[in-house]
Formats: sequence, C-alpha cells, structure tokens
Amino acid sequence: MATTTIPVTTAFEPRIVAFFCNWCTYTASDLAGTARLAYEPNAPVIRVMCSGRIDPQFVLKALQEGADGVLIGGCHPGDCHYQEGNYKTLRRFRLLKRILTQFGVDDARVRLEWISASEGDRVQHVINEMTDQLRTLGPWHARN
Amino acid sequence: MAYRSHVLVCAGTGCVSCGSYELGAAIEGEIAKRDLAGEVQLVRTGCQGFCAEGPVLIVQPDEVFYCGLKKSDVPTLVEEHLLKGRPVTRLMYTPPAAPAPVPTLSQIPFFAKQKLVVLRNRGLIDPERIEDYIARDGYAALAKALGDMTPEQIIQEIKLSGLRGRGGGGFPAGVKWATCRQAAIHRGVEPIVVCNADEGDPGAFMDRSIIESDPHSVIEGMVIGARAIGAQQGFVYIRHEYPIARERLAKALDQARAFGLLGRGILGTKFDFDISVVQGAGAFVCGESTALMASLEGRVGEPRAKYIHTVEYGYKNLPTNLNNVETWANVPLIINRGAAWFTAMGTGDVSDNPWNGSSGTKVFSLVGKVNNTGLIEVPMGITLREIIFEIGGGIPRGRAFKAVQTGGPSGGCLPAAHLDMPVDFDSLTAAGSMMGSGGMIVMDDQTCMVDVARYFIAFLTEESCGKCIPCREGLRCSLDVLTRITEGKGDEGDIALLEEMGGVMQDACLCALGSSAPNPVISTLRYFRDEYDAHIRDHTCPAGVCKALIHYEIDQAKCDGCHACVTACSTGAITGQVKYPHLLNQDLCIKCGACVDACKREAVLRA
Amino acid sequence: MKLVTVTIDGIKTEAEDRTPLVQVAQKVGVKIPTLCHHPLVEPYGVCRICTVEVHMRGRVRLVTACNYPVTNGIEVFTQTDRVRRTRKLILEWLLARCGHVPLLNTMAGEYGITEPRFGRGDDTCILCGLCVRVCSDVVGANVLGFFNRGTTRYVGTPYDEPSDKCIACGACAEVCPTGCITIDDEAEQIRGELPLGPMTAIYIPTMQAVPHQPVIDYDSCIHFKTDACRVCATVCEAKAIDHGQQDRHEEIQVGSIVVATGFQPVDAQKVPQYGYGRYPNVFTALQVEHMVNASGPNNGQVLLKDGSTPKAVGIIHCVGSRDKNTHEYCSRVCCMYSLKLAHLVHERSGAKIYNFYIDMRSAGKGYEEFYNHLLEEGCEFIRGRVAEVSDWAVTPMETDKLVIRVEDTLAGLVRRIPVDMVVLSTGLEAREDADDVRRMFNMSCSSEGWFLERHPKLAPVSTFTDGVFIAGCAQGPKDIPDTVAQAGAAAAEAMALIDTGQVELEAYTAWITEERCSGCQICVPLCPFSAIEFNKEKKVSTLNEALCKGCGTCVAACPSHAAQQHHFTDAQIMAEIEGVLVR
Repeated sequence: MATTTIPVTTAFEPRIVAFFCNWCTYTASDLAGTARLAYEPNAPVIRVMCSGRIDPQFVLKALQEGADGVLIGGCHPGDCHYQEGNYKTLRRFRLLKRILTQFGVDDARVRLEWISASEGDRVQHVINEMTDQLRTLGPWHARN
Repeated sequence: MAYRSHVLVCAGTGCVSCGSYELGAAIEGEIAKRDLAGEVQLVRTGCQGFCAEGPVLIVQPDEVFYCGLKKSDVPTLVEEHLLKGRPVTRLMYTPPAAPAPVPTLSQIPFFAKQKLVVLRNRGLIDPERIEDYIARDGYAALAKALGDMTPEQIIQEIKLSGLRGRGGGGFPAGVKWATCRQAAIHRGVEPIVVCNADEGDPGAFMDRSIIESDPHSVIEGMVIGARAIGAQQGFVYIRHEYPIARERLAKALDQARAFGLLGRGILGTKFDFDISVVQGAGAFVCGESTALMASLEGRVGEPRAKYIHTVEYGYKNLPTNLNNVETWANVPLIINRGAAWFTAMGTGDVSDNPWNGSSGTKVFSLVGKVNNTGLIEVPMGITLREIIFEIGGGIPRGRAFKAVQTGGPSGGCLPAAHLDMPVDFDSLTAAGSMMGSGGMIVMDDQTCMVDVARYFIAFLTEESCGKCIPCREGLRCSLDVLTRITEGKGDEGDIALLEEMGGVMQDACLCALGSSAPNPVISTLRYFRDEYDAHIRDHTCPAGVCKALIHYEIDQAKCDGCHACVTACSTGAITGQVKYPHLLNQDLCIKCGACVDACKREAVLRA
Repeated sequence: MKLVTVTIDGIKTEAEDRTPLVQVAQKVGVKIPTLCHHPLVEPYGVCRICTVEVHMRGRVRLVTACNYPVTNGIEVFTQTDRVRRTRKLILEWLLARCGHVPLLNTMAGEYGITEPRFGRGDDTCILCGLCVRVCSDVVGANVLGFFNRGTTRYVGTPYDEPSDKCIACGACAEVCPTGCITIDDEAEQIRGELPLGPMTAIYIPTMQAVPHQPVIDYDSCIHFKTDACRVCATVCEAKAIDHGQQDRHEEIQVGSIVVATGFQPVDAQKVPQYGYGRYPNVFTALQVEHMVNASGPNNGQVLLKDGSTPKAVGIIHCVGSRDKNTHEYCSRVCCMYSLKLAHLVHERSGAKIYNFYIDMRSAGKGYEEFYNHLLEEGCEFIRGRVAEVSDWAVTPMETDKLVIRVEDTLAGLVRRIPVDMVVLSTGLEAREDADDVRRMFNMSCSSEGWFLERHPKLAPVSTFTDGVFIAGCAQGPKDIPDTVAQAGAAAAEAMALIDTGQVELEAYTAWITEERCSGCQICVPLCPFSAIEFNKEKKVSTLNEALCKGCGTCVAACPSHAAQQHHFTDAQIMAEIEGVLVR
C-alpha cells in the first residue's frame, strides 16, 4: 500500500482549488481513490456538473481568496456529457489566461486538464505535478 | 463492232497460276503489233475446265482449243492462226495414246461428253462484264420471275424441277424454299437467303469456278429465290482462300446494282433485295449450315443441334434459306426454260416426289490419277466409267483403275465393280458413298486405301470444331488406330474397333461433319478389306505407299551405275562406284521415292 | 400452351410441346445420364451421353435428350442396346482423355467398363462447357471461353492471362463436374481461418435465427457486381427475393436503450510467439469450438490441417489476458472453456491434452468439480506462462511437432512439450468500435474500453446517461450465466423507467430570472439541448426546465447573473471556494 509522507515542516505548501466536472474528472478522482492511488492533498475539489459551469470569476475569486493555483478538470473534447460544455470552457480559459498573464499570474498556476472517467492515474499525476511546480514557484500574493 | 475472231483465254485460278494473265497480255500485244486489234478480240473468261493442260485458250468461231501455252508460243499463234488462218497443230491437245492432236472442242472427248448447264457460259463470256452475261440471256429469268410469276409459282416451278441441293445434302430446293417462306409468314418476320460458298472439301473447286467464271448466274438465282421466299437480305459466305472469286463476285454485285438488278426497286418493281459478302476464316466446319450462320452472326463457327431447323430459326433466329452456289446457279435456267426441260436430264421420276430421282446436271472436279483433270459438268445418270475413261481419258502411265472417291471427307470410295453405276444422289448413297459437293478423286493401283482413309480422318481431326465428344475424341482415336495400321502396328481387333467407333459416331455426333466422318473408313473397309488385312496381318502395303511397310531395293542385275539415284537421294543412302551396281542402305532410307523417279533403267524396286 | 403426348420407357405422359426431353423424363422419374447439362444454363448438347432412341412414325433416331424438343406421339427408349453401346464408347473416349476423374469412373462402372480400350489420359477437363456457360449466362462476368478447335480445344481466359473481370464467385468451380476447377483461398493459406461464416452470398444467418429467413450479403452477391445471376430469384417458388431493396433509415422514438454490443476475441496474432498464422496447426479456441461442433467443417471431428488426428494437444491459457503487453485484466471465461475444450478434444480424438495455465479460475457451482474430473481423465496441467511455440526440433521426438516451451513453476524446470496441435485460449476485449458506439449514446468507457457502469457495485447496468443501460460483455468480460443475469437486470431497469410513466428531472436544472434578464441572448445558442428560447414580445430569454440537463454553461455565460443553476448557484460555489481556502 502506497503511503505519502506529509511534510511536517513550515515549508510552503501550495493551496490549489480544483474544479472538477461531475461526469469525467470527478469520477476519475473517485477511481483514483478506489484504486488507492495516493496523491498530494493540496487540491480540495469543488464539484460542478460540467466544466462549462465554471465562470472565470470563480478562478479570480479563488486566487483572490488565497489560492496559489486553480485546476480545472473536464471531459475530453467530444466526450462532454452535455455535448459542448467543455468547448465553452476552453474558449473562456484561453481568454482568461490572457488576462491573467497581464495580472502577472504565472502560467503554471491556472491549468485546464482533460481527464476522462477512467483516468484515475491522470488525476494523481496532474495534481502531483502541479503541486510540485507551485512549491517551486511559491505563493501567490493576491491579497498583497 | 463485229470481230471476225475471238481469242478466249482462260482466266480461272488454275490457269492464272500458270501465267494466263501474262499470256493474255502477250497476245494482246502481239495482236496490236500485227494490226489486228480491230478484227480479233481477246476475252478473259472463267475456268474452261481443262485445268491439267493450262494455260488454255479457245479461238472462236473456229472452236480450236489450244493448251499448255507459253509466252514464246504467242507470235507463232497469232501469225499462223489469226493472221493466216492456219491453226497451229503443235499447240493443240493430244489425248493420251492418240496418234495425233485433236483440234476442236466438239472432238475432244473431255469436252464433247459434258453437258453444260450451270457452266453454260464457260469459256464464252468475260465474267467481269455483266453485258456478256445479259447477252447470253442473262437476267431474263429474273425479269420473267418478277414480271410474270407470283412467288408461289416460282416455288412450284422449282419444286417440279426436282432440283436437289448441290452442296451435298441433296435436299429438294423447292421444298426448302416453301418451308422457309411459310415459316416467315407464320412468324411475321422477314426471312434471309444465304449462299454457301465455303467449299471446304479438299480437291473441290466447283463453286470457286462457278463464281470466278459466271458470278451473275449465282446472283440471279439468289434474287429469284429471295423473291420467291420473301427475303430482302441475302449473304454470300465465301471462304477466305478464294481471292479471285471474291473479287469477281464483288465486281458483279456492283454491276448488278448499277443495272438495277439488285438493291432497291429491282427492275423498277417494289421488290428490294441486296446481298452482302462475308468471308470465312479458314474453318472447314463453317461449311456446315448452323456453323456458317453462327459465323455470319459474328460468333465462333460451331454447329448446333439441328432439331430445330434453320429454315425456321436460322441467322439471328430468322427463317433462313441456305443453298449451295451450284444450286443457286441452276435456278435462272429452270425459270427460263421450265421444269420439264430440267427433268428431261437426269435419272428417276421426280414429277410427284423430288426424292424419287436426280434431275439436271452436276459439276464435278475430276482430279487424281486421271489423265484429264479439271472441271466437268455431266448430266445426272452418266456412268462412272464414262466420266473417268472417256471424259477423264483414263488412268495415266498405263496403270490400273482402283477406286474413285466421291463426296469429299463425307463420302466413300467405290471400286471398279461399280464403274458402270449411274452417278446420282441415291445410287452413290446406296453404294456406300455420296454425291457430296462434287469432288471426284480417281485412284490407281498405287494408291493405298488404308492411307486414303487415314488421310481423310486426319483432315477431319484437324478441322473438327471439337465441341462434341464423339467427333473430337472419336476421330482422334480412329486416327490413332489407322496410323498404327499404316505403320505396321495394327492389331487383330482394330477393324472391329474402327467399325464400332464409326457406328457410334454416325449415331451420336452433333453435326454432319462428325456423323459422316466414318464414311471413308467404312466404305474402304467394305470394298478393300483385303488391303487392311494385308497391313495388319502381313505387315505389307500392297500399293507400296505406307512408308513403314515398304522398302526400296536396287536390282543388281539392272543397275548400270549411272549414279542418277545417288544425285537424287537426299540422305546419302545410296552408295556405289560409277559403272558398278549401287547399294541402298535401308537404315538411311527415308522412303521418299526420289531414286525410283530418277532411275532410267527401272532398277530401283519397291517391295 | 399446346400439350403433347410422349411415351418414355413405356411411361406415357403429357408435356408442353417442344419441352426438352430431359425435363419430361425427369418429371416421370426416368433417369438419363448427363455431363454437360445443368438446369441453370441453356443445354449445350456436346457430351452426347444423354443420347436416347426416339421412334416416330416408323423412323428411329438417336438424339440428345437435353435439347431435343418433344413432339406429339414420340416414343422414347433410354436403355436400348444401341443407346448403351453409344454411351459406353463415349465414356471410353472420355477416359482416354481424362482417365482418373472419379465421376467418369463411376459412370464407366455402370456401363461395364473395367479396362478402357484407349487407355487413361491425365487431363481433368472434359470440355463440357458448364463453367463457360455459367460464367457468361448466369454470373455475367464473361471470363471463360473456349480456345482453339478440335483436339487442342481448351477452356481458358483471354490471352491465357488471369482476368481482371473474374469476381472469384466460385460458380465455375461449383458447376464443374470433374473437380477440375478449384478455388484457392490465398488468405486462408496465410491465416488458416476455418470457414466460420456463411458459404453463399444468400444464407440463413444461423440455425436459430429469428426470423428463419435468408439474407443477402451485398458484398459477395454476384448480381451486384455484374448485374446478372439472380439464380436465387429464379429458383424461389414464392418469388420472395427482391434485389432492389434499399437500406431504410427509420427513426424510432424510444424512452430507454439497452446497449449490449458484446466483445471481440483477442486477435491471437498480437501474441506472435505462439505462432498463430505461422504454423498451420495453431488454432484459436473459437476455431476449435467450431471444429468440435457437429455442423462444423469436419462434422465434429478434431483434425489437423492435413486431415489426420492429433495425438497430443496443448491448450495455452491467458492469451491476450493478464498480460502487460495486451490486456492486464483476466478475461474470466477462458479457464472454464479451456477445460471444456480439453475434455471434448480428448473425447473426440483420444489425444493427450496439456493445459498451460497461470491460475485455475473455476469459481462457482460445479466448475471446481469439473476441473477435478479432468485431472482424473489424465489431462496434464502445467502451471507456467508459455514462452513460445515453435517447430524447431531438438530431439527426434520433436520432429514434425509443435514444441511448447514453458517454465513449469511447480516443478521448477523449463520444459519442452511436443504436441501436434496448439489451442490458444484467447481472451475477451472491448470491440474496436466501442469508442464510436459510446459517443453515440453519451456514455463513457472505463479503462480497457469496456462501457462504464454508473457504479461498479450498486448500479452495474445503468450508465451516467439516464435511459441508457448496458448489459453483457460490453460492460466487461463475463460468462453466459452472468450475461443473462445482467441482461435481465438491464431489461428490468429499462422497463421500470418506462413503467413509471413519469420522468424524473435532474434536480440541478437552471432557471432564468425574468427581471434580471437583459435580453442579450448570449445564452440561447449556448444550450446544446435547445432549452432556452428568446421571447420576442417580452424581449427576455426563457428556459424550459424539462429540456434542461443541468450543465450550467448558460449560467457561466450570463453577464447579468439572470441565469442560475439549482444547487450550483454562483453564491454557493463562491461559498465553497471560500470554505476550501479557509486557513
């Protein structure tokens, strides 16, 4: 059984807010759980029905409230449970990224991933990777 | 212009191949040179019949017949006969064993004994001039048929004449025409008339000569026939190997059309009829009517079962009337002179039933071991003896008559015992042969009858279309047996085997090529059984033909060492010193017989 | 229709005028031998074997029965001495050409021929022309013809070259009476497939097919290639065959769908070390299944490719299953069917059976007992994953055998086992087109391509899309009892959905507050379900809750927050974000 050591230090631990769509990415993280795939605990999940529900304001709000990074997970293009929602997400994400760059938000902090319901291992991989990257990048000083 | 003399040069294929075109040109040149162009006309006629003696010509009105001419003879001929009126004896024909040349046609037995009906214009007209044909009553029959007779009356006249098919079948033409006409009316379709000019029998050239010498006779016959049957379209299926005949026929057709005797509105009536010429492509089997029609349609020339007759369903499934060239050529005369005139010639009484006799004449190609080979026309009923010995002039080199083969590959061989048999359809068939298309091959004692049978079977094996098993395989197996016999490897049961195979082939073959194929074998077995026995039991060939069974020897007593045979021998089998008797080495001898011909002392013997 | 009276061998009968004699004879049960005759093509009349005697008005003729048109009053005799003599000689002539053809020798026996007088030739073609006529008249491809004449006549293609007009329909081989024409399936020789599918273009799918009626395979049917043939329509008495049928696209409105599209067997060529496709006697289990079936190619016998009986058979388990190189999962059914085949093959052929397994999975009622029964039967079980199958012989015992090289883990040795026949127990995998199918029904696939159930334990037959259910191997490898059970479950749930008479809507539908809506219409084209309409009078957008699936895309897009989603309102999500980030 795999275990993960939780660093008991005062070193910086990034906080990531994950918006997962119910049908694909949320189920995948469920699968990761049943398969006992351990991943960093740094990304609490907020479930939405479809990644298309994600208003760019949520991302901004999250960063404003102290998140160091935002992860959006949706179905692969073509596989959206609601047909096209993830395409809208993609469009919004692209535009949002442009604005965020102007705000000085690092590219790695806001991330869009397509993860299907069977890709539990991908959830593990993405979260681990993002956490690692943000540890290196350091905190996002929004309030400041 | 009135000419005082006509020089009629034969331009039939036989004489052409001996240079008669050049001869004719030379004569014309000489005539011009001698300023006789206004008095003497040169005419190139069709085959005059005396093919053995070509090139030939006749000078009319003197009726003098010259033969074996060379270009060097021309000045003498023109000067002596045409200018000075003194026929040249040395250029005339001398019958065999006769003391002196015979100058005129009516005295030459070859010509005197013939009765020219179909060949009436032979030697008299230029086949390439329709005017010549018309001048000799040509197309008068057509005018009569179109103007004075109904189609039914035409058919009736032909029926009464008893005209029977001259292509070999001997089927009454009038009956065939009537059936065809009826079938067409009943089905409401237009019938077709066809002329069978395929003439495949080896050695036969009657149809060729008719078309080369007098193509209009055939055309006129076909137009009358078409009128009687109700056809508007006709075909002449002529074999590919007759280029001169094809050419003259084409010219004749063009001329007939130009004269309004063929094509639309013939002789100004509403009757339309035209003829197309279609060439064969080298298949004997296309002389068979269903194979011929298949070939006309552009399909492979193969026969089909004749349970359904071609008069009902023939070319493109239309009622089709097919007759031989010679049959068509008889038609204008019958119409012109009447059935009664026609039935006055021939045998039997055909007034009630055409099957009861053979009326009219028949053209034969008389070839083989006979002095006067050529084309003859004789009344039905003349005996074989008259044909062979009087017209034919007997057997050359003093040899004995052995057999005469009639009817080509479908016919049979008749021995000397039948020499006095009248020649007509039924007598020939009863004797085991058949009339066929008119080939008549004379054989002497140096002809091996087994080899003759083998020859015909070999010919048919090659020409069989191969469709049905009894013909294809039966001929092949029969050929094997006959070849073995001629090679001295015959078995006791071979004759019974040949007879058995012959019987089954007659019963089971799809077409007449196959079912008549056993005839030469069966007739030679009937009359010359002893020759077969000699080959099988004694391993000898009495006629000295079968190479495996003969050998040559040099008679040491007679040989004077002249060395002629050594020169003639191609394999060096003969050795010897000059002036000393020579020796023949059997191992090298290929039995070609050249030494026999070369030896002047008759010292080479055949055993 | 004019009727005529015909007497055949003493039997009087009536027939239509001009009917071919052979048909009339057939009607009254008189058998006339034929070789070049076939009911589908025009009579050709060349073999002459059907010769019979016809007596008519005192005249006797020998005619061929196949094409002789009957007329009134004919008397036919089919077995006279003359007829028999004719047929006997025809057969001898044929044997001189084709001396070893079984059909001819059988016929020859009937006519008393023991030693044909002209010997026996080595040809096999009797030039009957059936192939030529079938190809031109029935199939319409016009590939074959006769060439040359006389004894050199033969059947061939133009210029003796392979014809590109040949559609390989096999009709010529089918009608050839001597077996002179054969059809070579080149693919068969490479892949070694036993014919598992139908043998003709028109066929009844299976013995159990409902309706039990034939179907026509468009790709094999000759009519669709050459516009000819239609022999099926000619012989169908009910005139039920219609080549003009077109595909009909029907739209059926349904309330629930059960997707049970099954599995496909793993392609054994994906495990190349086992030699499938290279060695002729390596079979897949499905092929052996077909072979032991009584209606299979060998009528139930187990035979090698050369027709002999195997003396040793090796059955290799887990081909394409439990394998990182193909599929990691266990296909569940292979152990049991391997045991079944071990039993059947041993029963049919008496061969020594070896089973090469990793684990023996014989769970459930009676299965472990069956495994024990096999052990008692003398079947040898070797625990180990087979390394390879080869035909290299190292010892004389291995010559001409297939050698299975395996580590026997229980004995601790590497063993080489020579066998005659290898059976690969191939696993089950998701069908190739599973991805396309699932998209059509808005389903997901789990790993390995099986369709995803809503919950592996609690909702095994429903999917995340309401109204779409899955059953059987489409959901995952399983055996027949489990499939049937699952099918029943899916049917029950599908029925339940219909039976309720009501449809439960998602709770998380969206709604639009009319007062807030500015009428910008951004939301209208966004909805994939056309749930939003613009009301032109009121100049606001309205949302139909019945159509709404609850994705929330419109909500995210609405600039004035007029659109909201139940349970996922902006306020709620914002609250979640705050809550998650609380220190």
